[in-house]
Amino acid sequence: MNEIIKTNKLCKTFSNGGVQQHVLRNIDLSIYEGDFTVIMGASGAGKSTLLYALSGMDKPTLGEVVFAGETITKKSPDELAVFRRKNCGFVFQQTYLVDSMSVLDNVLAAGLLTEKNKKVAASKAKEILKSVDIEEGLWEKFPTQLSGGEAQRVGIARALVNKPRLVFADEPTGALNSKTGKDVLDALTKANNEGQSIVMVTHDITSARRGNRILYVKDGEIAGKLDLGKYVSGDKERHLKLRDFLGGMGW
Amino acid sequence: MTKELLLAKSHFRKNKGTTAGIFLLMLMAAFLLSLSMIIFTDVYPTAQRSSEKLDSGDGVIKIYNIKERDDGFIKELMGDDVVRFGISYALNYSAVSVISNKDGANVVVNTLVENPEEAFSKTMAKTEIVSEDTSITDNYIYLPYQLHSSGNFEIGDTYKLALGNNRYDLKIRGFLENTYYGCNNSGCYEMVVSDKVYDELLEVHGDTNLCAAVPYKLKDGVKQSRFSTRVSNDVIKHDLCMSAENVSLSDVIMSRTFMSLIIAVSFLTVTIIVMAVVTMMIANSISNYVKENMKTVGALKAIGYTGRNIKASLLLMFLEIAVIASVVGIALSYVALPVISNVVVAQMGLPYSSAFSIIASLVAFTLVFAFTFIATLISVRKINKIVPIVALREGIESHNFKSNPIKLEKSVLGLDMSLAMKTLFTNLKQNIITFVITAFLIFLCVIALLMYENFNRNPNLKLMALEIFSGSVGVENMDSEEAYGFLASRPEVKNIRKTYDFRATTNDEDSIILNVFEDPSKMDNTDVCYKGRLPSHDNEICISGKYAKNIGLNIGDEIRFELGDKSYTYIITGFIQTTNNGGREGIMNEAAARNLVDLDNYITYYAFDTETEEETSKLLDDFEAEFGDSLVNKTNFYKNIEGSLATFKGIATLMLVVVCTISGAVIILVLYLLIRSLIFSKRKDYGIYKAIGYTSRSLVIQTAASFMPSIIVSTVLSSIASYFLANPYMQMIMINFGLMKCTFTIPIPGVIIIAASMIVVSFLFAVFESRRVKKIEAYNMLVAE
Repeated sequence: MNEIIKTNKLCKTFSNGGVQQHVLRNIDLSIYEGDFTVIMGASGAGKSTLLYALSGMDKPTLGEVVFAGETITKKSPDELAVFRRKNCGFVFQQTYLVDSMSVLDNVLAAGLLTEKNKKVAASKAKEILKSVDIEEGLWEKFPTQLSGGEAQRVGIARALVNKPRLVFADEPTGALNSKTGKDVLDALTKANNEGQSIVMVTHDITSARRGNRILYVKDGEIAGKLDLGKYVSGDKERHLKLRDFLGGMGW
Repeated sequence: MTKELLLAKSHFRKNKGTTAGIFLLMLMAAFLLSLSMIIFTDVYPTAQRSSEKLDSGDGVIKIYNIKERDDGFIKELMGDDVVRFGISYALNYSAVSVISNKDGANVVVNTLVENPEEAFSKTMAKTEIVSEDTSITDNYIYLPYQLHSSGNFEIGDTYKLALGNNRYDLKIRGFLENTYYGCNNSGCYEMVVSDKVYDELLEVHGDTNLCAAVPYKLKDGVKQSRFSTRVSNDVIKHDLCMSAENVSLSDVIMSRTFMSLIIAVSFLTVTIIVMAVVTMMIANSISNYVKENMKTVGALKAIGYTGRNIKASLLLMFLEIAVIASVVGIALSYVALPVISNVVVAQMGLPYSSAFSIIASLVAFTLVFAFTFIATLISVRKINKIVPIVALREGIESHNFKSNPIKLEKSVLGLDMSLAMKTLFTNLKQNIITFVITAFLIFLCVIALLMYENFNRNPNLKLMALEIFSGSVGVENMDSEEAYGFLASRPEVKNIRKTYDFRATTNDEDSIILNVFEDPSKMDNTDVCYKGRLPSHDNEICISGKYAKNIGLNIGDEIRFELGDKSYTYIITGFIQTTNNGGREGIMNEAAARNLVDLDNYITYYAFDTETEEETSKLLDDFEAEFGDSLVNKTNFYKNIEGSLATFKGIATLMLVVVCTISGAVIILVLYLLIRSLIFSKRKDYGIYKAIGYTSRSLVIQTAASFMPSIIVSTVLSSIASYFLANPYMQMIMINFGLMKCTFTIPIPGVIIIAASMIVVSFLFAVFESRRVKKIEAYNMLVAE
């Protein structure tokens, strides 16, 4: 498989009141095209920090991130923004839709960054909204008028509209109930099945089962890796395998 | 109160930028208010105190061409109307171009030249030495103090004086203070020269230039207008070649102070607009506070703070800003006062040292404080509506989005502009504020431009003078026809108009200057009659519209004039506008004038036009050489108007600079406050945009551009509106000066420059301030929070 991201001695240190906290320590890892990579770990282990360092949203203290052969750690903030619009999609725990924009405009605001033709961009946005089960009746609604699950699926549509090479999802089901959480995971799985690479941070074992590759972060390091293979719904063995792996990691 | 103080302190900490912006606006208001109040409360009293110190009486009568000292005639002339009077003699030079500035600029004024003994022994309307160097004993001159204060001349400098054919290089021995002859605005300078120089001038010009200056104090009940009309006519009756001019103390004080008062009124107008801006900004800040601190307010209410406590803390915060800004603004106004004092002194021509004015400071402080108090009190009312539990849940929507006016799918604009328009609509209240403020500022700038254009760049002479001509000569009647012949024979002379003027009384006590034209329809400035028509029959008259309005007369009404034993009733055919003689003038034809006076007893004036000012100067010199003895008066209109406009020009330029600078500063401060609060309240959205791939550059442009439609639309609309409203607005002001219908030129290129500058300055600053967006990092905003 093609390597899409490769990190080299990635370190992230936060300084708080003179006290240094090493959140990521010399991480060397690879993310592969077409994978659904799940990053797990205890609270404060550094999983979200790793996700945002990989996506170029946050700068590492040391080391480098190479995205498809291109080192992104040295790019300026604006260069990184252009890089993100072309290559990355983001799904956040709190959806972070722009409240003053309609559902369609939230997706289009991302879509128009790469597709200048408004008609084409609108048609793509509508298509992607439909694919995450956001029906036309909701397109002119505003985020505050949506349910949590609907809002998150709009967030996924926004992340997918530019067909990025990689979608980063940070606890996408963290604020949702199990039913709406499942819908969101289905949307991500569907995207992955259609060839989209996904990196997802979660602390929920049910969500983690969707991944074909599990990275476990402990004390800022990759403490373990697990290959689960392609997700198949209702695969009990997969669940046990994952549970054992996590148990072994002291989760 | 401790609770409220603690909260106020917390507001300060959280809103440093807003505090700074509002502080600067309040400071600007206090500064301008204090300056205008100081001028209002100090300038007029200073002129009045000086006149009392110099025992200036009620006015002065200047009797021209008296030829010889004749105290007996003057005593007889004053009669029983006065309590006391003084007499001094001087050489009068009408409309002389004197050097008014060390750089060589000239001003055209009447100049009274005296010898030291005459000058410093006056019993009334005394002349005082402000400063002198007694070691300079020969070939010296004392100049009016104005030539030191605005002309920068110093004791010991050489002053070039040209009177008739006499040229002198004189050493300046000192500077003088005198009520009536010290200011170019009142049209007359007094200069004291050493005896030798005076004797020389007396020998050459004594016959025609000797003039008596008679300051007087009227008896109770004697009307000054009636007194001056009588004296003028008695003087002419005594000797046709003589003439008398009355200058009242009130007029001279007004002429010395009115430009300062115009500055003060202009500052006050700008202050009102700045205070309106402060009010809007306070309301906006409080609205933002409520929006951004909903949870905090809810928490405070939940732990027992009452709405009253929270409101009091906000009130305390803004009042503290108001107090500090007022104190600093007032203090700064005293720092800037010397600059303003220089302008005041320059046009007042009196030694003036600005001192602390408790009244001015108190008024400025109280107004800023009261304005802030009321604006805050009204704006904080919405705190009452916040219910703790709802606020804590952050269930109160700061925006209720219902419509989507700019749909990205359908927008014809580019992505950045479409998003900017979206921001505009979500930030509509702030854009309305910007719209209103921009409109106010544009209007102010257009008014300042109008004043600059019409008083400085292209003076609107038709509004400033009754008749426009290149030059005029006044001759004794016996030589009138020869004078006309001389002028008519010169090829460069065009449109010779024969005129007279005299004073008559009407309405029992009002002294009106009646301007007589052989044929008023041949006047160059027929626009002077703004309503009705110029008179053409012997029973017709045009009078000043302002005066007619005051005494309740209309076109078609009759007005009776008295002069000596004669009286005559005229029909008013039209209204004229004039600033002369307090707006009390009339126009009639020769036949009409003869119903009241025998014009053969009056000086005949011939007004004429030439192509150039040089032609006029040459012609007047030639005329003087030909008619020396019978030439009573010569006027070079261009030089005269140049002299009278000198101060106007300075003030108009000052006002244009001040108004444009303040407008620039106000729009910058407003944008600073609004963009700052916009970025703060939308910081999460900016984080989202950055996360999905928007660059800082694109967000900066979006933010700056979101304010531009309101500024551009407001600028365009208010420029057009100001173009049409500036004249009616100026007319409201000019009515007080006697101009009832004025059409000032408003240069369209100037308006376009102002509008373009407003847009460019706003956009550049909006881009500069929006760069704040760069500091927002998507990661910190969305994840690390």
